[in-house]
Amino acid sequence: MFIRMIAKAFIRQWKKMTMIAFTIALGASLATAMLSVMMDVEDKVNQELKAYGANITVVPKEASVVNELYDVGEENVSGSYLSEDELGKIKTIFWAFNIVDYTPFLNVEAKLNDGSPVTVSGTWFNHHMKLPTGEELDAGIASLRSWWEIKDGNWIDEQGKDKKDVAMIGRALAEEEGIGVGDKIRLAGNRNSKQLTVAGIYDAGGEEDDQIFVTLDTAQALGGLEGKVDSIEVSALTTPDNDLARKAAKDPGSLSVAQYETWYCTAYVSSICYQIEEVITDSVASPVRQVADSEGQILEKMKLLMILITFLAMIGAALGISNLVTASVMERSQEIGLMKAIGAHNPAITGLVITEILCTALIGGLIGFFAGQGFAQVIGHTVFGSAISMRPMVIPLVAVLVTVVTLIGCIPAVRMLLNLRPTEVLHGR
Amino acid sequence: MKKRQMYMRMVTASLLRRRSRMVIALLAIAIGATILSGLVTIYVDVPRQLSQQFRSYGANMIITSSGEGFTQEDVDKAVSLIPKDQLVGVTPYRYDTVRINDRPVMAAAMSMEEAQKTSPFWSVEGRWPSAEKEIMVGESVAETYNLKEGKRVTCTYAPEADKTDKKKESKQEEEDIVPDNFIDFTVTGILSTGGKEEDYVYMGLKDMENLTGSPTVFDICELSVSAESKQLSSYADSITGKSDMMSARLVKRVTESETKVFSKLQSLVLLVTIIVLALTMISVATTMTAVVAERRMEIGLRKALGASNQSIVAEFMGEGLVLGAVGGAVGAVFGFLFAQAVSVNVFNSSITFMPWLLPLTIIASVIVTGIACLLPIRSATDIDPALVLKGE
Amino acid sequence: MSLLELKNVSKIYGNLHALDHINLKVEKGEWLAIMGPSGSGKSTTMNIIGALDKASEGEVLLDGVDIAKKSARELTNIRRDKIGLIFQQFHLVSYLTAVENVMLAQYYHSVPDEKEAMEALERVGLADRAKHYPSQLSGGEQQRVCVARALINYPEIILADEPTGNLDEANEEIVVELFRKLHEEGTTLVVVTHNPEVAEVAQRTVVLRNGKIDHESINENFTGRIKHITLQ
Repeated sequence: MFIRMIAKAFIRQWKKMTMIAFTIALGASLATAMLSVMMDVEDKVNQELKAYGANITVVPKEASVVNELYDVGEENVSGSYLSEDELGKIKTIFWAFNIVDYTPFLNVEAKLNDGSPVTVSGTWFNHHMKLPTGEELDAGIASLRSWWEIKDGNWIDEQGKDKKDVAMIGRALAEEEGIGVGDKIRLAGNRNSKQLTVAGIYDAGGEEDDQIFVTLDTAQALGGLEGKVDSIEVSALTTPDNDLARKAAKDPGSLSVAQYETWYCTAYVSSICYQIEEVITDSVASPVRQVADSEGQILEKMKLLMILITFLAMIGAALGISNLVTASVMERSQEIGLMKAIGAHNPAITGLVITEILCTALIGGLIGFFAGQGFAQVIGHTVFGSAISMRPMVIPLVAVLVTVVTLIGCIPAVRMLLNLRPTEVLHGR
Repeated sequence: MKKRQMYMRMVTASLLRRRSRMVIALLAIAIGATILSGLVTIYVDVPRQLSQQFRSYGANMIITSSGEGFTQEDVDKAVSLIPKDQLVGVTPYRYDTVRINDRPVMAAAMSMEEAQKTSPFWSVEGRWPSAEKEIMVGESVAETYNLKEGKRVTCTYAPEADKTDKKKESKQEEEDIVPDNFIDFTVTGILSTGGKEEDYVYMGLKDMENLTGSPTVFDICELSVSAESKQLSSYADSITGKSDMMSARLVKRVTESETKVFSKLQSLVLLVTIIVLALTMISVATTMTAVVAERRMEIGLRKALGASNQSIVAEFMGEGLVLGAVGGAVGAVFGFLFAQAVSVNVFNSSITFMPWLLPLTIIASVIVTGIACLLPIRSATDIDPALVLKGE
Repeated sequence: MSLLELKNVSKIYGNLHALDHINLKVEKGEWLAIMGPSGSGKSTTMNIIGALDKASEGEVLLDGVDIAKKSARELTNIRRDKIGLIFQQFHLVSYLTAVENVMLAQYYHSVPDEKEAMEALERVGLADRAKHYPSQLSGGEQQRVCVARALINYPEIILADEPTGNLDEANEEIVVELFRKLHEEGTTLVVVTHNPEVAEVAQRTVVLRNGKIDHESINENFTGRIKHITLQ
């Protein structure tokens, strides 16, 4: 009979029930969309912030001391280099998944045709890598220098046909030397000299405008430094630093075992640095403060902003639902009065009303959940051009929210219903 | 009694005496209005706030000298071309080579307060210098000379020589130069940035003047301006154009990336705002619809008593509009408070009050409420009073 | 000319003939009772007389005007100007006081006048309860407010649908007493009821059955009984 009454209620009052379900669906979709976006916003914004380039630099252990400060006649005579062979290992660390991009650099001094000295940087442009894990990755400065403006020509395509003996020249240098795209330049390095074709001219808005960028093997050949690189720039998705991370950055040894575990297994920039140092022999990895710190701040702010907006949206959704539930239950006072008159006890009535509403909430919540996922994807695709990943956490959160809110919405209504005197209702108000 | 008086009496009676229902309706509208005004405030204010936030990437414009450097006066003149409220920090730097233990080290002199504004990402172990004879050293310098916070270090000034290519000069040559000026500094902090700033030492302008014995002439000036890149480049152009000694250019890495990221974040907030608002408004509308639909019986009675459709619509709409206006006003206030709370929590700065938002919120809630009420009233006036009064 | 005349009036819902060619006349100042079992067409008749509903066929002449062909808008005006309605369920607006409920009828009719409304309440003996809300009034009192509301605009006809259906005997008496007074003042009364006691006091009783007039009876002792009761 109970079920029959509920079924009847749905059939008879389908309009009203549809409305409740609709409102619940709205609320649920709002909650789902906002929660999904909120939970993913950190990753998404993090990806966007990669536009600022590398947030970690890796240099050989001695280099940081030797370089520049001692007046060594030539750079890096002491042979403090990193090994090119080890580059792949960066993608094998604990947080490998968070390493978005990285590229090696090898700077060598060379002379142009007219004898003027120039710094030549060997690097990856869009280097294709097959990782031991079976993954494939394109890494290089094409993405790590996203702010470069290509004035003329194109980026060097390492995967293309003309990957041999090409160079990209900084705007300032190109203007000074009168070099254009397609020109051939002769670079004389310490060991070898090479004839290169200019593939592109870039405007970096900084000191790189006076440099020449070539592929890594070209630079190695010029300097006779086969298999060597002198720095690596790494772009990693990181978690904003907290006290633990700052403490660990100073000295990982000062942490307790538990703290160490937490730190190591969190994508702090310091723990990623630490892990890189573990795989690259004799290396020092340090965060680029300008990028790493700012990133952390912006991320934190954006996340907080989204949390607060989500919070507001949730309150809105919650009150919207409970309001309508209250309003629509109150409307049924006549029916409830009748039920009381024919001998229904309070728990029976409460049970009936709540079951009815919860069934509606279930339907509305389901519809709302999927609609909300849709909204989240709309946001993801419009803003970030990629899907918002579905967090399983959202399901229980939305389910609990909808249930609790619906029940809360029932409270004033149920209280009112219980206080109803059947005579009053049936004999007009 | 006048007809209008009775009308007002009915509307107020309905609002005041049907308290529980009216509270529901009012709550719904107020929430809607809160979300509306809160989100709009946030949306309008977020670019300003975020743009401030992006200043943590440091200087986005650099002024270099095309001649023999420039003075504070030149800087002030150049900076006056940029509106004050957009200016986050201006730090002119003076570079000179000093010697520590007879080895040359690049020394930068600047105002420490300003430098903290233009380079907020600098991480200092210890503290920034705040008095004369205090110095901050880069991490690699500290490593080289084994300097720690609180240690003393003597810097001597070696005129000439170093301005040319320092790599070419030999140690012997350096020793020939008689150190004619020196200052004992206390190291207050070690700077780590992960960049080449770690190779420098930093001191106040006064110390540098004393050390070199020459008045301050700046080599470079860093500016942190919260403006988008188009505006920035127009500022840069006007600075360059106005003075023949100075040329300003943008730090591409910062400006370009900011434009990219910033537009994303802004469109994120916009989209979120739109979706939340749309859903909230619909939800307010359904609640209002439910509240009005409940009064079918009353509408039927009024019709039976001889009320015309227009007068019923007028009465119920009157109520709805009063609710809309009151809820809107309440919501506008709460929305502002919410936005303020968000701003203080997220961005540590208060929000600008936008007076136009108050009427906007009220009008929007009145419209939403009006539409929401109109539909059920319309359908109620269409019904047959006889059927309603029979209790269906 | 009769105040109200139904000529061959039918009301058809689907293929149900709620009213089947009814002919009925109500004279000015008459007190008529309509009786009949459930489903006999009482309520339909009441709705049609009260201009709440339109007849499917036939003519309904009120003051010589056929209201069967009028638009909903015109019907509203007719209800407002010529008819006072009293319902079994009272139908008072819950958030308005007794006097305001009376004024509501004035409001739609012409201009609300609190003094006049108070006088109407006085006539039904509720002057002291004018500021009470319907929920604070007993059933009988509520129905008396309805009577006051019905008579406030001096309608041509007062139509009462089961006016005593929700009342106990004491209140029933009070309401009938009020009707009697109205009748004395020359008001035309049509009372739909299935309570024979209430029907008996009317001048004439029409009994409906299956949408048709089954029979009519005239209360011969009408005047005397009224005088008798009035004298008390």
